[in-house]
Amino acid sequence: MQNLITYVTLFFTALVMQAQTEITGTTVSGPTKYQLGMQKAFQLWQEDKSWDAANTFERIATAETDNWLPPYYVAQINVINSFTEKDPAKLKAQLDKAQDFINDATAISKDNPDLLVLQAQLYTAWIVFDGQQYGMTYSGKATELYNKALALAPDNPRMILAKAEWDMGGAKYFGQSVEPFCKDLQRAIDLFATFKPAAEFYPTYGEERAKQIQAESCK
Amino acid sequence: MISRNFTFELKIKTNQSMKISVIPFLVFFLPFYIFSQNTISGSVTDNNGTPIIGANVYLDGSYDGTSSDDNGKFSFTTSETGTQTLTASYVSFEPFKLTDDISKMKNLKIVLRDDVNSLETVTISAGSFSAGDNSKISVLKPLDIVTTASALGDFVGALQTLPGTTTVAEDGRLFVRGGDAGETQIFIDGIRVFTPYSPTTNNVPTRGRYSPFLFDGITFSTGGYSAEYGQALSSVLLLNTIDEPTQKKTDIAIMSVGGGLGHTEKWEKSSLSLNASYINLAPYIAILPDRNDWQKPFQTASGEAVFRQKIGDGLLKVYGAFDTTNFELTQEDINQPDGIHFKLNNKNFYTNTSFSEILDNNWTIFAGGSYTYGNTKVGIDAADINDVENSAHFKLKLKKSFSNRFKLNFGAEQFITDFNENYEEPNFAAKLGFNNSISAAFTEADIIFSRKLALKLGVRGEYSKLFQEFTVSPRASFAYKTGKSSQLSLAYGDFFQQPENEILKFTDNVEAQHTQHYIMNYQYSANKRIFRAEVYRKQYSNLVTYNETMPDANSVFTNNGDGYAQGLDLFWRDNESIKNVEYWVSYSYLDTKRKYKNFPIEATPNFANTHNFSLVAKYWINDWKSQIGFSYEYGSGRTYTDLNEPGFLQKKTRGYNSVSLNWAYLLSQQKILYFSINNAFAFKNVNGYQYANAPDANGNFARRELRPAADQFFFVGFFWTISDDGKDNQLDNL
Repeated sequence: MQNLITYVTLFFTALVMQAQTEITGTTVSGPTKYQLGMQKAFQLWQEDKSWDAANTFERIATAETDNWLPPYYVAQINVINSFTEKDPAKLKAQLDKAQDFINDATAISKDNPDLLVLQAQLYTAWIVFDGQQYGMTYSGKATELYNKALALAPDNPRMILAKAEWDMGGAKYFGQSVEPFCKDLQRAIDLFATFKPAAEFYPTYGEERAKQIQAESCK
Repeated sequence: MISRNFTFELKIKTNQSMKISVIPFLVFFLPFYIFSQNTISGSVTDNNGTPIIGANVYLDGSYDGTSSDDNGKFSFTTSETGTQTLTASYVSFEPFKLTDDISKMKNLKIVLRDDVNSLETVTISAGSFSAGDNSKISVLKPLDIVTTASALGDFVGALQTLPGTTTVAEDGRLFVRGGDAGETQIFIDGIRVFTPYSPTTNNVPTRGRYSPFLFDGITFSTGGYSAEYGQALSSVLLLNTIDEPTQKKTDIAIMSVGGGLGHTEKWEKSSLSLNASYINLAPYIAILPDRNDWQKPFQTASGEAVFRQKIGDGLLKVYGAFDTTNFELTQEDINQPDGIHFKLNNKNFYTNTSFSEILDNNWTIFAGGSYTYGNTKVGIDAADINDVENSAHFKLKLKKSFSNRFKLNFGAEQFITDFNENYEEPNFAAKLGFNNSISAAFTEADIIFSRKLALKLGVRGEYSKLFQEFTVSPRASFAYKTGKSSQLSLAYGDFFQQPENEILKFTDNVEAQHTQHYIMNYQYSANKRIFRAEVYRKQYSNLVTYNETMPDANSVFTNNGDGYAQGLDLFWRDNESIKNVEYWVSYSYLDTKRKYKNFPIEATPNFANTHNFSLVAKYWINDWKSQIGFSYEYGSGRTYTDLNEPGFLQKKTRGYNSVSLNWAYLLSQQKILYFSINNAFAFKNVNGYQYANAPDANGNFARRELRPAADQFFFVGFFWTISDDGKDNQLDNL
């Protein structure tokens, strides 16, 4: 049954961070330490130094103990890098680390849809690694998280995209039409056009990915 | 003014061109500020002195830090002063912390210790097999429990494909390493199950009472297990129930032998699963009659409920199961031309409640209890036997994790059994029974010296009120990593178990039976392949003997029996080499003899054989949305006593062979069609022989073959899951 769950596509490979270089809300006294630190981290990430970026986010996390974004990005980098990791010991270590930081971030910001989606993506990393072992348990949990994230933020294009992509993976695997999900995808793309992150450094990814899937699956 | 300095400092660090222009300014106006700039430097290596590249080195709570370079070296400046904490961390190593005056943090030589909470850390594997998500090296995966062709959805059936078990096809229970079925105890969430098997007649194998989909972790230990578990001479099977179901759903099963209905409801902090099933073999037997003459074919109705509630950081689980089984038949018997009339009516209730919580300072508490009510009414010809068992088990356990490397477990438990039997024949009646209570305490330490070396030391004390006897059982196991993917484990333990109800109902003038296990295990695991080899020696002593064919109130009981079992178990699993195929192979060699019960001499009992082999394979055909399962089981002949020749258990039957096939077809994501056939090639298997009580005219004892009730078994089922997401299915329910 090992392939049963590998329908879960490697949607992370295309999930390239849109680095946020401009700093908004700069005060008269110039950017804050936090703004500069985050900017530096995103810059490293864009330069393909994702581990240095993760280290920087981690340092910011120790200083900014009531901000969920730094631990969120530490976890996200560890999760994304896990999708290409083949060594089980390393994979487990990275995902354990990601889980710790998701837990930290969740303690700061409860019922946060971005954190729920990241948690679902962490489960997906386990499923992609070994579907037979983790598929049954984690695919149910992931589904639940996608549903919950969408219920919390029904008009957030990233949540619409995440759920649509997950559902399309399942439909493709079972040879069913992905058509019903194309309208969700279109809706996500429409919403991305006007999407404004809630605040500085909030996640903004997803638009490119949505267009890519649309081009591939919804002609 | 202060905030302005602050801003400049940051610009120095982030903008080289700025640095040049700003420094003179700072030097001139703010000399005090320059003096407070400190450089922190050093290197990060692992235990072997190899540089760690990309380690995160920083001052806690500040933004100041860096990643170590390609030589493991680091250097950064900070405006922090005085005593600060420096952290160095890298994935799969324990974080390093140094609290000191900043001025002393120069040319530091930081050595990171391996994080032992890693997949690369040695695990104590002697004697035990794990299945499920939780274990580092699983020999069986959750789906295997239910997709093994020969198992027919019975978790015990899947475990019988592992080495260390003996094929006793007509029985269906677990026989481990020369031990009889009563020497294996089953625990759900750490709490004893007193009546784990459904009752059956003597040529139809039994099944585990509990549905496999309730469990997400299974540990099967064939010896040398933890001090937490007692009252088992040979083996323990530990089943852990699911903590949190994944989603709300309804399951419907329509099968050739009955039907089932399940529903799971989920709330924010709690969940409830209900499950009901009804099995009736009447239609099946009408189409495919077997060797028994059924007056009332086997039927059973069962219901299960699991409620889970999160309370703070704790989890409360309440599990309850009720089932009732009845059947009536006449079985062939060589001494009775009309056969033996047998009827059974069983009611069984089991409840298990546990609470666990993680407390402050790395303490974990677990408290749980179970209660079993079992009532079995058996009629054998004119005799009526009514057994009532009330049993309970309570356990309190505490665990303290001093560090990742040292953990201590200790606890106490109490077993209570009240057993009563009424025996009635037309001209005779008797009341038998006993009241048994065992108190026990245990403690165990887990010490991980490094990723290469781990040790587990424990001791268990038990007091039996019935025998007024105190026993002490030391347990020890040790594991050493011999290479990147291989390890060696050793285990030793003393195990005590009270004689079974069938003895205790006649006498309390006996003692606990005793075994000692010595186990050596080698394990290799890499690239989704696992190889295990285990040699063992088990020494039995204090086994109960009696002086009549069947024990009764007048028998003489002693603890003079003894015996041994020794052998080699091999296991190979490969999920990688052949595309879309997973398979495993088990082989067991067993050499065992014992003198117990009414054995006149030391002999190999009829539930033990020398060679056991099984091969299980699963092939996933993507285009057909199907999984095809195959399993082959072989057991060499088992002993029997040939009354026409001198000796005792001196002969062996032919070997046992069976090939089972199954096919699971996914009609859609939520609808599965399932077919299976056991013993597809209809091998003729003989489990033993029954001899006549008296010789015929030629002085010859006639005999008949003990055959299974049916050579083959066919099964067809349709499973439908209804859930919100439209994805879940009952593959793990088959």
